[in-house]
Amino acid sequence: MKKLALAGLLAVGLTGCSSEEPQVLSLYNWSEYMPQEVLDRFTEETGIEVVYTTYDSNEAMYARLKLLDDSAAYDLAVPSTYYVSKMRQEDLLMPIDRSKIEGFNRLDPELVNLDIDPNNQFSVPYLWGTTGLAVDTADIEGEPVNAWQDLWDDRFEGRVMLTNDMREVFHVGLRVLGYSGNSTNPKEIEEAYKKLSELMPSVRTFNSDAPRMPYLEGETDVGMIWNGEAVMGKDTMGALEYVYPEEGVIAWLDSFVIPKNARNPDAAHQFISFVLQPEISALISEDIGYATPNLEGRELLDDAVAGNRASYPTPEDMENAEFQVDIGDDALQVYAKYWEMLKSGR
Amino acid sequence: MTHRWLPRTYLTLVYILLYVPIVVLVVFSFNESRTGYAWEGLSLRWYEALFNNRAMVAAMWNSIWLALSAATVSTVIGALTALALHRYRFRGKKLLNGMLFVVMMSPEIVLAISLLALFLLVGLQLGYVSLLLAHVTFCLPFVVITVMARLSGFDDSLPEAARDLGASDFTMTRTVLIPVIMPALLAGWLLGFTLSLDDVVVSTFVSGPSYEILPLRIYSMVRVGLKPEVNALGTLLLVFSLVMLMLSQWILIRSKR
Amino acid sequence: MLSVRQQPFKTAVLVLVWGWLLFLVLAPNLLVVGASMMTRDPVSFLSLPLNLDAYRQLFDPLYLEVFLHSLFMAAMTTLVCLLIGYPFAWALSRVGKQRQLLLIFLLIVPFWTNSLVRTYALKLILATNGLLNNGLMSLGLIDEPLQLLYTEGAVIVGLVYLLLPFMILPLYSVFDDLKQEVLLASHDLGAGRLSTFIHVIVPLTLPGVLAGVMLVLLPAMGLFFVPDILGGSRHLLVGNVIKNQFLDARNWPFGAAASIVLTVAMAFLMFAHRLSKRRLGEEGP
Repeated sequence: MKKLALAGLLAVGLTGCSSEEPQVLSLYNWSEYMPQEVLDRFTEETGIEVVYTTYDSNEAMYARLKLLDDSAAYDLAVPSTYYVSKMRQEDLLMPIDRSKIEGFNRLDPELVNLDIDPNNQFSVPYLWGTTGLAVDTADIEGEPVNAWQDLWDDRFEGRVMLTNDMREVFHVGLRVLGYSGNSTNPKEIEEAYKKLSELMPSVRTFNSDAPRMPYLEGETDVGMIWNGEAVMGKDTMGALEYVYPEEGVIAWLDSFVIPKNARNPDAAHQFISFVLQPEISALISEDIGYATPNLEGRELLDDAVAGNRASYPTPEDMENAEFQVDIGDDALQVYAKYWEMLKSGR
Repeated sequence: MTHRWLPRTYLTLVYILLYVPIVVLVVFSFNESRTGYAWEGLSLRWYEALFNNRAMVAAMWNSIWLALSAATVSTVIGALTALALHRYRFRGKKLLNGMLFVVMMSPEIVLAISLLALFLLVGLQLGYVSLLLAHVTFCLPFVVITVMARLSGFDDSLPEAARDLGASDFTMTRTVLIPVIMPALLAGWLLGFTLSLDDVVVSTFVSGPSYEILPLRIYSMVRVGLKPEVNALGTLLLVFSLVMLMLSQWILIRSKR
Repeated sequence: MLSVRQQPFKTAVLVLVWGWLLFLVLAPNLLVVGASMMTRDPVSFLSLPLNLDAYRQLFDPLYLEVFLHSLFMAAMTTLVCLLIGYPFAWALSRVGKQRQLLLIFLLIVPFWTNSLVRTYALKLILATNGLLNNGLMSLGLIDEPLQLLYTEGAVIVGLVYLLLPFMILPLYSVFDDLKQEVLLASHDLGAGRLSTFIHVIVPLTLPGVLAGVMLVLLPAMGLFFVPDILGGSRHLLVGNVIKNQFLDARNWPFGAAASIVLTVAMAFLMFAHRLSKRRLGEEGP
């Protein structure tokens, strides 16, 4: 009797495990950065299952990819601007076979062939966006918030949120001091650390998994946010505004890359082509609020989305904006040290 | 009798504190509300959402399969180890005991990174096999201890008698010892199953995308924020482990008769 | 001594167990020790030459502060567990035998529920719009919600909630062994309640206290998901530092050195535990 039960359990487990292996695409992406509908439609159209795993920082993505380098774990990843050049230079990526990609010519000419990857040999732009200020207008009183510097204001004590992203947080500190957000000067980084540590008593939490959530949950009122998160957040909470700070937003472009040892590069190419369809690009941009580099996709956008300054900034909004670039491993270590100090300080 | 009244109140109070979060979890899993703080009416929508989430269901099966296999392997090895420790004299017995104790006491994170380093060095792909090896390793000492406890209360004359009657070690183990330690095997297996199903720390380090398991899926969900599906999932897990626990109690009671 | 051929069963079992432990416990730990003495390498994780830089880095005032803060939170967790658990175990050991079994069962049931899910449930309670704040506000005790989530306190509450049973169980077992006669004898010899407590109960329960401390303090430094969920990624534990070094910053030697600190702490606690037991064995009745 007991043996029977055990055998039954084992059989259930076995059938759960050994059913026909369908083709699988292993996609490694930022959390909440791809609508489920897109994945479902891809599977429906191609029969390829998508295994979607997530990360919350470029560092985590990069470390994990290196860790799993030999075991060919991921077929597709989505690093931000500066990590594309880093990974390309370290020979971690597989060249993109342009003949297998449909619709590359639909991409905004201004967002291809950049310094990070000349001729886009290794990357295809997915979405671009900015990191700016989030303001819960219902909960704050007094002067409107227009600049990163305003976060240091006493009235926000315990109400500030920062992204859990070393480079972005230091970018803010550096910009407030008037330096470049891509500084590699240890002196400037240390100054930024000191400036940021003055902010720390105000900082309630760091969040890069879903930066809109602390605002929606009422834990924080002002701070950093990604534009798409702000757009998604406004759907739930009308008072959440996205503000372009005077010192300039942080701009980034996230691109598809195929790790060198990907097991299923064909499926990866297929997926990129799938996303490059104007209709799918438009769907993604409408659903998660970031800007698509796909010009034909942009034409299909709902007017409300295309005209939303949070998703699609005007040239004035982008004044002082700075793209993140690779700063090299030495500078990264300096940042890392101060970052840990910052987060653990009381 | 004031001195009886005080301890009882204290016990009750601590139990209430222990159970409040669990009650909240269960109650809110039936809450219609999306934000998850206010009560907006009875609903099963989160259970529905859970079962429509294909990735979640796949992770659940992976987890159950992993827990079943890890518990079984660790029970087999653990029981044999306990028998050896109980019956035989051999060199390094103390060391073996000590190593098992150290594994049990080690913070999970220490075990996690050491195994990660090993798997990378030998080039083992992170996935089901690495998870299985890691889970068996941290379950093992618990099984050994459970079985040892049972053996220490057991009269040694029975196996001696069996041996006098000409039974080989193997036969004696199979016919005499195994029935005696059966309840302990069951308890150890169950403990291993639960430990495996619950583990976050070790799994974070030794898993790969080819084999996603439930705790890691839950981890990425709860980090994103409040998700009512998590309440539903938590409730299901609670019911599942309660059923397992009761089943084992029932089997134990029956085996004693 | 019987030879291998005469005891194939024994040999097979011992080879299996030793093989497993050597390959999956001893070898990996030696690797970590080795890794802690190597040099960080941005491309492949580790490289030569061997040195003690990682250990020196541990004593860098910057990281020292991280460790002390983590240690402080773990120590507070342990202290709170002890303060709640000690009288609890005492009270538990005085209840009737039949009911004791039920109560212990009830203590273990939460432990069988996924710990992540339970931590998440605490978030529901502690949040600004959460149940506790709503409750207090509707009772009129507070006007504005308290900031409970994403604080050091929240992390400690979470750790205590997850680890309390591990403090209570060893304490319960020593209280259960504590003979009523010993207390009566102490009383008969003229010792007051306080004096009985200090001179009889405390020494006799010390091994239980140390076992509990060991079972709580070590995990309380390692459970990185608790600060992630309840501490808002602030208020880091040693576990978070180790995880970051391995999975984000890729400074393996430093991560390995930090983990060795935990191992040393464990060894120290185990030693203290043994010592207290042995002393009790010698001086006991």
